[in-house]
Amino acid sequence: MNPADALTPILDIPDEQVAIRLRGIANRFGDVVIHEHLDLDVLRGETIGIVGGSGTGKSVLMRAIIGLRPPSEGKVMVLGHDVWSNDPAERKALDARWGVMFQDGALFSNLTVRENVLVPLTEHTNLPPKLALEIADLKILMAGLPPSSADKLPAELSGGMRKRAALARAIALDPDILFLDEPTAGLDPITAGKFDALVNELKETLGLTVFLITHDLDTLRDACDRVAALAEGKVIAIGPLDHLREHATGWLSEYFGGPRGRAALG
Amino acid sequence: MRVSLFSNKGLASKLDFASARVHNDSKLNAPPHHWVANQDFSQEGPFLPDQEAQFEIDRSGPAPILRVTGDWTIHTIGSIDAELRPIRDLETDRPAIVDVSGLMDLDTAGAYVIEKALYSSVEQPAQMIGKHPVAGRMLAEVRKFTAGCDALPEPVPLWRQLLERMGRAMVQIYDEMIDTVGFFGETVVACGKAIANPSRVRWLPTFAVAESAGLNAVPIVMTLSFFIGAVIAFLGKTILQDFGASVFTIELVGFAVLREFGVLITAIILAGRSDSSFTAQIGSMKMTQEIDAMRILGMSPMEMLVVPRVIALLVMFPILTFLAMIAGIAGGAIVTMLTLDISPTLFFNRLNDNVGVDQFWAGMGKAPVFAFIIAIIGCRQGLNVESDVISLGQRTTASVVQALFMVIVVEAIFALIYMELGI
Repeated sequence: MNPADALTPILDIPDEQVAIRLRGIANRFGDVVIHEHLDLDVLRGETIGIVGGSGTGKSVLMRAIIGLRPPSEGKVMVLGHDVWSNDPAERKALDARWGVMFQDGALFSNLTVRENVLVPLTEHTNLPPKLALEIADLKILMAGLPPSSADKLPAELSGGMRKRAALARAIALDPDILFLDEPTAGLDPITAGKFDALVNELKETLGLTVFLITHDLDTLRDACDRVAALAEGKVIAIGPLDHLREHATGWLSEYFGGPRGRAALG
Repeated sequence: MRVSLFSNKGLASKLDFASARVHNDSKLNAPPHHWVANQDFSQEGPFLPDQEAQFEIDRSGPAPILRVTGDWTIHTIGSIDAELRPIRDLETDRPAIVDVSGLMDLDTAGAYVIEKALYSSVEQPAQMIGKHPVAGRMLAEVRKFTAGCDALPEPVPLWRQLLERMGRAMVQIYDEMIDTVGFFGETVVACGKAIANPSRVRWLPTFAVAESAGLNAVPIVMTLSFFIGAVIAFLGKTILQDFGASVFTIELVGFAVLREFGVLITAIILAGRSDSSFTAQIGSMKMTQEIDAMRILGMSPMEMLVVPRVIALLVMFPILTFLAMIAGIAGGAIVTMLTLDISPTLFFNRLNDNVGVDQFWAGMGKAPVFAFIIAIIGCRQGLNVESDVISLGQRTTASVVQALFMVIVVEAIFALIYMELGI
C-alpha cells in the first residue's frame, strides 16, 4: 500500500505490511487521561511523523510501543509480535529489531562513542572483537560523524554530534524500525537539515521504518511520508503532509496556519 | 533489513514499496533444520539464521570471483570473519567480481565484510553478477565508508599507560593542592564579608544545612561514640588488670574520649555524611547550570552556597562533639561500673580530679578547625563538578577521601602542638 493513500489510522491491510499496529490504546496518569481509544497503523518502510501539542503524550506513546511503560489499556503489535505479551519469547523476538534515539541521546556517559555503539553489538551478536570494532566504526561513519569522534566521550561532543552518536548506536544492529524522539530539537537549522537528509539516506539504505516524533515543520516536510496528529487522546488526522494541510481543522489549522507553519511550508 | 529472495512475496522484480521490506517472519518459529555441526550456537543471537553465511572464490575464469551464499547479516558473519580476513590482505589476486545470485538476507554489516574482501573502491566499484534486491545499493553505500573502518589506533603498551597515568596523577595532586589553598582564601574572604555584614548571610539555607548535616547526625554520632567509649573501657580493663591498676580505666576513658575520640568520631562521620551530600548537591546544581544562573543574576555562589554551609558546620560541629563526648563517657562509665564494680560517684570524682576540664577544651578546640576543613572540601569539590556524570562520582569520592585525609593529618598536627604545649 502506498502511504499516500493511507488516510485513516486503521488500515485494512495484511499484518506483514504493518510495522506497528496500535489498537484501543489508553494511557492514564491517575485521573489525567493522556490517550483514550487510540488506534494507529504504521506501514513497513514508511517514515511517519508524530505531531501534537505539548502534553498530548507523544513520548508516552513511544514508550508504550518500545516496551518501556505499559499502556493502561490496549494492544501494541510490532512486526506482528505483541510487545506487552506475558510470553517472554514474544518479547525476545523483538529484541534487537528496533533502534531508539532518545530525546537527549541517552548515551552512556562513561563510555566513548565507539564503546557506546559496541554495546548492542557485543550484547546481541557473537562477532569477533576486531570485526565488532570495525562494524562500530562503520556505523559511526554512516551516522555522519568524523572518525576522530569515535574515541571521545559524549560530554566532549557538541549537541548535533551527540545526536549523531545516538543515531549510530540506534542503527548498530540494522534494525527494522527506528524510533526518533525529537531528533532535531535544539539543533541549528543547517545541522537539523543535514540530520533530516541523513535519516532519509539511512532509511533508503537500510530499508527502515521510521517513527519520528517532532515539532519541526521542516522535518515533517523533508523526511516524513505520512504525518499523524495527536490531540484529544487519539489520532485526529493522518496522511501525507499536503493532505493534512488541506483538511486541517482545530489545533492542526492553528499549527499549520501560524506564522511558523506558513514560513516553513510556504 | 533482511529481505529474503525465498520469501513468499516472490522475486525481487515483483517487490513493491511496502513488501520490499517484508521479513520472512516464519523463520523465527521455524524448526532448526539447518543446524550445522561446526556452527557454534552457544552464543547465537535472538534469531535463527536461515542459512549459514558461506563463500568461495572461483579462480577458474580470467578474474577471480567471490561467490557468496546464505544469509550475510550481523548475526551470521561472525563465524566466517576469520576465513574471510586473510583475503583482505592479499596484495594481488583479490577478487573484483562478486556473485550475489546465491545471496539471501543482507544487511550493512554483511555488506561491509563482503566489500572489505573485494578489490574495489568508491571510484572503482567491484563488478556484481547475479540479481539481488538490495545488494547493489547496500554495497555501494557501505563502500563509501569501508576505508575508514580498520584504521584503529595501535594500543599503547601497558607500561607507557602506567607511566602516563602516574604522571597525570602527580600533576593533578599538585593542581588540587594549589586549588584548595586558593579556595580556602576565597572562603575566608567570603566569611569575612559575611561577618562584616551579617544581613547578607542567607539564614534559610544555613538553618536547612544545620538541620540536615548537624541535627540529623546526632543519633549516629552518639551511638558510635557510645560504643567507642565502651570499647576503650573494655580494652583498658583487660590490659590494666594485669598490672593491678584496673581503676585507671576511668582515666583512660576520660583522656581518650575527651581529647581525641569525641571530636575525631564526629569529624569522620561528618566527612563521610556531609561532604558527600555537599558535593552531590552543589555538583548537580553545577550540572544543571543553576550556578551559572546564580552568577548571571548577580548572586555569588560563595555567598549562596559555601558561606551557609561553613556557618552551619561551625555551629553544629562543636555541639555534635559535645554530644559525642557525653555518649562516649557514658559508654565507658557503664562498662567500668558493670565490670569493675565501681560506683558512679567514684567514676565521676576520679574523672574530675585526674582528667579535668583541660582535656575537654583540648578536644573542643579542634572542632571548629575540623568543621571548616570539612565544609570547604565538600563545597570546593562540588563546584569543580563538570557537566558529566563521571565527574560527579569522582568529585564525591575525592571530597570524602580528602576530608578524611585532612582530618587525620590535622589531628596529628594538633597532637604535636599539644605535646609541645604540655597539655
